[in-house]
Amino acid sequence: MPFVLGAVFLLSVLPLIRLGWAGFSGLTEGEGAQVLFEPATFAALRNTLLTAAGGTGVSLVLGALFAFAVALTDIRGKLILSFAFMLPMMIPPQVTALAWVEMSGPASPLLKTLGLAPPLGSPQPLYSLSGIALLLGVQHAPLVFLAVKAGLAAIPRDGVEAARLSGASPFRVFRDIVLPLGVPGLVAGAAIAFVSGIGNFGIPAILGIPASIETLPTLIFSRLASFGAATFGEIAMLSTLIALISASGLLLQQRALAGRDYRLILSGASAAFSLGRLRIVAEALLWVILALVLAAPLLALVASSLVPAYGVPLNFETISLKAYGEILFRQSVTLTALGNSLFLASAAAIGLLAITVPAGYLLTRRRGALANFLAILIEIPYALPGIVLAVAFILTFAAPLPLIGLSLYGTIWIILVAYFSSFLAVSLKPVMSAFLQMDPSLEEAARLAGAGFFHRMRDVLLPLVAPAAGASVILVFLIAANELTVSALLWSAGTQTLGVAIFNLDDSGSSDLASALSVLVVILVIALMAALEYFAKYLPEGVLPWRN
Amino acid sequence: MKPLLSAITAALVAGLLSTAAYAENLILYTSQPNEDAQATVDGFEAAHPGVEVEWVREGTTKIMAKLMAEIEAGNPVADVLLIADTVTMQRLKEAGELLAYKSPEAAAYDAALHDADGAYYSTKMITTGIIYNTSAPMKATGWQDLAKPQAKGLVTMPSPLTSGAALIHAQTLAGISGLGWDFYKALAENGATAAGGNGGVLKAVATGEKAYGMVVDFMAIREKARGAPVEFVFPAEGVSAVTEPVGILKTAKNAEAAKQFVDFLLSEEGQKLAVKMGYIPAREGVALPEGYPARETIKVLPVDAAAAVKNSEADLKTFSGIFGTN
Repeated sequence: MPFVLGAVFLLSVLPLIRLGWAGFSGLTEGEGAQVLFEPATFAALRNTLLTAAGGTGVSLVLGALFAFAVALTDIRGKLILSFAFMLPMMIPPQVTALAWVEMSGPASPLLKTLGLAPPLGSPQPLYSLSGIALLLGVQHAPLVFLAVKAGLAAIPRDGVEAARLSGASPFRVFRDIVLPLGVPGLVAGAAIAFVSGIGNFGIPAILGIPASIETLPTLIFSRLASFGAATFGEIAMLSTLIALISASGLLLQQRALAGRDYRLILSGASAAFSLGRLRIVAEALLWVILALVLAAPLLALVASSLVPAYGVPLNFETISLKAYGEILFRQSVTLTALGNSLFLASAAAIGLLAITVPAGYLLTRRRGALANFLAILIEIPYALPGIVLAVAFILTFAAPLPLIGLSLYGTIWIILVAYFSSFLAVSLKPVMSAFLQMDPSLEEAARLAGAGFFHRMRDVLLPLVAPAAGASVILVFLIAANELTVSALLWSAGTQTLGVAIFNLDDSGSSDLASALSVLVVILVIALMAALEYFAKYLPEGVLPWRN
Repeated sequence: MKPLLSAITAALVAGLLSTAAYAENLILYTSQPNEDAQATVDGFEAAHPGVEVEWVREGTTKIMAKLMAEIEAGNPVADVLLIADTVTMQRLKEAGELLAYKSPEAAAYDAALHDADGAYYSTKMITTGIIYNTSAPMKATGWQDLAKPQAKGLVTMPSPLTSGAALIHAQTLAGISGLGWDFYKALAENGATAAGGNGGVLKAVATGEKAYGMVVDFMAIREKARGAPVEFVFPAEGVSAVTEPVGILKTAKNAEAAKQFVDFLLSEEGQKLAVKMGYIPAREGVALPEGYPARETIKVLPVDAAAAVKNSEADLKTFSGIFGTN
């Protein structure tokens, strides 16, 4: 118990207090406060809100469409559809952005190859507010999908059948039963999509910076990157601003989910509208959307990793594996980044178990105000935008640590600690659902037989949580290996991550190398997700997001 | 719990060992593009098999911000710096951050190309000129062409907030009569954009997103040799130039290897390597790479270095004011 409390304090409370304090002193001393009145801040704030709101709209349309189709109709291939639809969320945002840039505009090797490229000087349509909003929408649509699907899964077949038997038309059933039950999920999904859009860094960085469109996260990044430590006060103010917007979005989400209680209807198999002849149309529509938002950009990414120079169409004469050779066998930065990402991801994934297993046990066995408070504290760093978290950790660890005089800033350890903080909630979820599904009588029996706490932990509890712990390790690994926002602010010599390496290669004008590295990362993501899917039958329910 | 704990310990030890290992190496902060940085490091390691180089690449201003933050945190990581311009080096020297080292190779160089105390040495000449896409309707020959109606909305340039070469370029043109900040205002009114580094400009023009750009010479000339549809022009009014100086930090943990690195860059072998990558060498008597006009025909515009050091902040503000936040 003290261990869990101590860990949560270090990873969540301390950095946030430090950030809040820096923001507050900036406000009272007036040194950083003036940044709030600069036109650049207003523009960034406006851009952030506009793109996040636009993105939320796109996410709502895509996510709700897929959720309704998968949860309520009799279309075929639901598992593979869900799996493919979840992919954009798992692919790093800067890779998504690169892929879409390579797909559209006069620059596209894919369009050039097909002879469809727009004429010289046509603007790249994605380098705009609506381009950013569109991609934010695609990136975060799975969040809406998950939230809505969870709500719809609770609609029982009996309720719908009863309504149909008493003569209700499908439209009335939809309006009077499905929609009211779906609304909390829609509101919650919209709130998460909005908050994620506010905090996204990869997409506005790749699409916005070339067009001089700043959002709050990219503004913070470029201030810190170009002016350094002198701007700590201003950066703390801007981070606090983002944190406030995110917090209000999260409150909205909580209210939506804590709303009315729908457990009135008897449980049973979940509802399925039979679409009849329309089924094939619906299936085609869903697959075409997936092809447009997922397959086409990824194909473009592959194409641009195979061309020898900018502006050259791809064909059998020009095709070249030079970019892959360069990043795999010549560039030391790729291997350094790969090594760092693998080390950070595995250390975070495995190390977090030491906190989440006892924390999960505590939170399920001991309910009450303290446990609730703890759960909220664990949730906060995950919900906050990465850039806010990174700034909080810079402020906390910029100076050498007291007592031991060791400096974390500029080493790989500050990134690791920030990852621990950011992914604690991700790691906890599977472990907690395993504890929740466990029959307490098992432990009771062991206790009555005289087994002490550690004995019970070792012989009864741990073997039962092991599959969930395995899933937790892979999930954290997957997300941490692709991370960009936190590491973009915290990296230094020799501590580049894969996300930073891709961003930096693109920035230095080597987008062929950036594309090649991105292709490899996407392959890694799909392989890890497939591994999770393969082990799905051993895992507790609700652990894999693309399954029910 | 046991296998778990030992796994964590193993991971931590592996991490500690790898950070400890950096201390043996030479750490280079550079603003060269990744491929060139790797080639430079490969060449040096081949000449000095005992030394392993760990390197970081970012635009000059970003590298400097990182370095200054590290210095402030009391833990500068870099041993040696290879960045775009002497103005930034001069500022570091004045702050007392650079080690004075008299390289034996310096004798083969024009005295104007290095600091008299040996704080930094120019390694090559990088000029900024005009790049255009070969399918562009107008062939640009001078800076003023970029402000013409034919180039409306079709011009892009690197931002001084990212690139050291771009800052010197802007300061150079701003100091030339007939151009000046008015020229930049005219460009902005003509719809020109300024963001990111030289790499972004190259990409935008080569791929046809933009038709014209200001960019460093070697990127454009090299990409043309690879088959990209671009041309590079040394404008009639003249070009700006930076000299990519190298300097050793006073706090270098591996000063010996750092000195060897400086000597290598200045040596004939190091200069030929630069030529192979497509750069104009700084050393006298080394020929220019293919694709360049004769050295004496390149007209380099003068820049007042002392004023550039003093006015950098103000010039950055002026530039950002003209082109918006970036």
